[in-house]
Amino acid sequence: MRLSISHDTTYHYEDQVRTSIQYLRMTPHDSERQQVLSWQLSLPRPVRAQVDPYGNILHVLTLDEPHESIVIGARGQVEIDEAREAEHESQSALPFLRFTRLTEADEALREFAKLESRSRPDRSGLIDLMHALNAHIRYVPGTTAVETSAAEAFAGGKGVCQDHAHAFLACARSLGVPARYVSGYLFTDSEDHLASHAWAEAWLDGAWYSFDVTNCLAKPERHLKLAVGLDYLDACPVRGMRRGGGIEQMHAQVEVAPMIRVQQQ
Amino acid sequence: MARTFYDEMYDASGAVRPHYQAFARWLADTPDELLAQRRREADLLFHRAGITFTLYGDDQGTERLIPFDIIPRSIPASEWRMVERGCIQRVQALNMFLADLYHDQRIIKAGIIPAEQVLANEGYQIAMQGLNLHRDLYAHIAGVDLVRDGDGSYYVLEDNLRTPSGVSYMLEDRKMMMRLFPELFAAQRVAPIDHYPNLLLDTLKSSSPLDNPNVVVLTPGRFNSAYFEHAFLAREMGVELVEGADLFVRDDKLFMRTTSGAKQVDVVYRRLDDAFLDPLAFNPDSMLGVPGLLACYRSGNVVLANAIGTGVADDKSIYPYVDDMIRFYLSEEPILKNVPTFQCRKPAELSHVLANLEQLVVKETQGSGGYGMLVGPAATKAEIEDFRARLIARPEAYIAQPTLCLSTCPTFVERGIAPRHIDLRPFVLSGKETRIVPGGLTRVALREGSLVVNSSQGGGTKDTWVVED
Repeated sequence: MRLSISHDTTYHYEDQVRTSIQYLRMTPHDSERQQVLSWQLSLPRPVRAQVDPYGNILHVLTLDEPHESIVIGARGQVEIDEAREAEHESQSALPFLRFTRLTEADEALREFAKLESRSRPDRSGLIDLMHALNAHIRYVPGTTAVETSAAEAFAGGKGVCQDHAHAFLACARSLGVPARYVSGYLFTDSEDHLASHAWAEAWLDGAWYSFDVTNCLAKPERHLKLAVGLDYLDACPVRGMRRGGGIEQMHAQVEVAPMIRVQQQ
Repeated sequence: MARTFYDEMYDASGAVRPHYQAFARWLADTPDELLAQRRREADLLFHRAGITFTLYGDDQGTERLIPFDIIPRSIPASEWRMVERGCIQRVQALNMFLADLYHDQRIIKAGIIPAEQVLANEGYQIAMQGLNLHRDLYAHIAGVDLVRDGDGSYYVLEDNLRTPSGVSYMLEDRKMMMRLFPELFAAQRVAPIDHYPNLLLDTLKSSSPLDNPNVVVLTPGRFNSAYFEHAFLAREMGVELVEGADLFVRDDKLFMRTTSGAKQVDVVYRRLDDAFLDPLAFNPDSMLGVPGLLACYRSGNVVLANAIGTGVADDKSIYPYVDDMIRFYLSEEPILKNVPTFQCRKPAELSHVLANLEQLVVKETQGSGGYGMLVGPAATKAEIEDFRARLIARPEAYIAQPTLCLSTCPTFVERGIAPRHIDLRPFVLSGKETRIVPGGLTRVALREGSLVVNSSQGGGTKDTWVVED
């Protein structure tokens, strides 16, 4: 399937921002499952692309002229091989066994992981775990924030895709399975889920398998991968800092569409 | 339990060792009142110079003077040459280990170190994978902690490859001794150490491919326990002392704000932990680092000394493998001994440790500063039981070692002169070549019988002499 993506992010600031810097992971790269046909990132000034520690394409945008808004646009087309379930990689997956603040497995998560997977650190065990997490953490936007940890979301029983992914990572790692966070786009027909999405991958039998807790999907379908990392902080599309600016208003508009529909318009 | 300690000054029969004889004569000839007066003078001078450290775990954040003892720790030159060769060998192997770990991982493929133990280790930095560093150097500045067992043989207690501190005390202790007792240095040849700041600057400059790189010292700020040392080293080297807020990144280059505009920075001697270096890549709450620094570092536009990710090599769970690293990378036999170490993550070794807690020293694999540690022979029953519970809950977080006797050195205490336990931290500099100034920092446990020499735990320091024998 060929997906067409258009993603515009606009930041408006109450006051003038003196300087700002952003790490942007908004450019997909080729893999076994996806082929990038075209991709264009429009930024306030030209920036050289580099590869970050996880192999993601990173743009570091530094602005040192005063500004009141930042507009970032990403557009492109990507061919997805829907038949492919898992992706191979030459780098060792072992670094993805470690916990981070956001993915720390407390006693409750460890117990839950053991119980729901019935201590099977394999694909069927993790699929059962995924279903159980989906039932335990209900999808309720606005109940958690970017700094909410897996343990906090699990205890609260509510969250969004980021919390689902973190809770899954905490559980998988506690079972001794390397697992990583994935940030990307999802083409969806329904209205309740944003097209920007997060899910998890677990390292089983020498390949990365997808687990989308929010949609109870153990097989990626219309998922386009942008970046991976130990948790949200490593893989999120935008991570930035600024001097000045006061209150920030962010507006994002994402459209993911199969190519055929774009051509009909 | 009868224990024999190796005393640095006196042999087993009570006779003064040859390399201490000149000092012993001087000590016998110097009136007690004069010594007492000089000791008060030393305290005053240290106070005035502001040589203090902040004690952690103290609610007031009290600044304390690190007690300075006027009886030096003296090492015969022939013995020092062995220690020097041993430290250099060790640090070379550790740097080669780091370069290997972040590239081909030959030592893992050879089955010498289990992959999971290094790759899943918190000190292992994914950000360093495949990154090429100038001269393949990771730990430009290393502190190797040495102790001596009952028979006087040297053991490495730990390698400090992140941001080892204490070198300012080494230098200030010498200055103080020369000022208070110049006659001692006229009576015998003590190897000089005052060229350390020059060697450090030379090492930092040679870590960059540029001819004359701009070097800065990055400090977490004046609330850090070692702030005095950061300021001291910057001043001695004649380079800028900066905090994160003085630096900024633009287009993958690092700049320093100056009164005459932005100036590019090429080498950062950073005294800030990995987690705080770049809030956009590591701990997002860090106000101490520089946003964008990691991307700039990975682009090869700035050198960090020490490199990111050296912590995986000085982790106590990796320590047991250093002897094998020396054999693997250098095809040499280790010159300095490693303390036999039980790895609690191995069930058989854990049960041995649990059965012998009273005799062992238990340490956290990630700990430093002597905070998370049990000294079995000196611990109460409650402390031992507390550690037993911790070990059972998280065995992989601990190692255990037999209690070493630790050598003693005569030290001024309230009731006169008495033996107190000491260690030694030589500072190893790796640049174009690997070098050490003679001696290092000697720390002394001032409490009678105590084996913990950390300044945060009530330890003091002594001047360290290497003398011709």
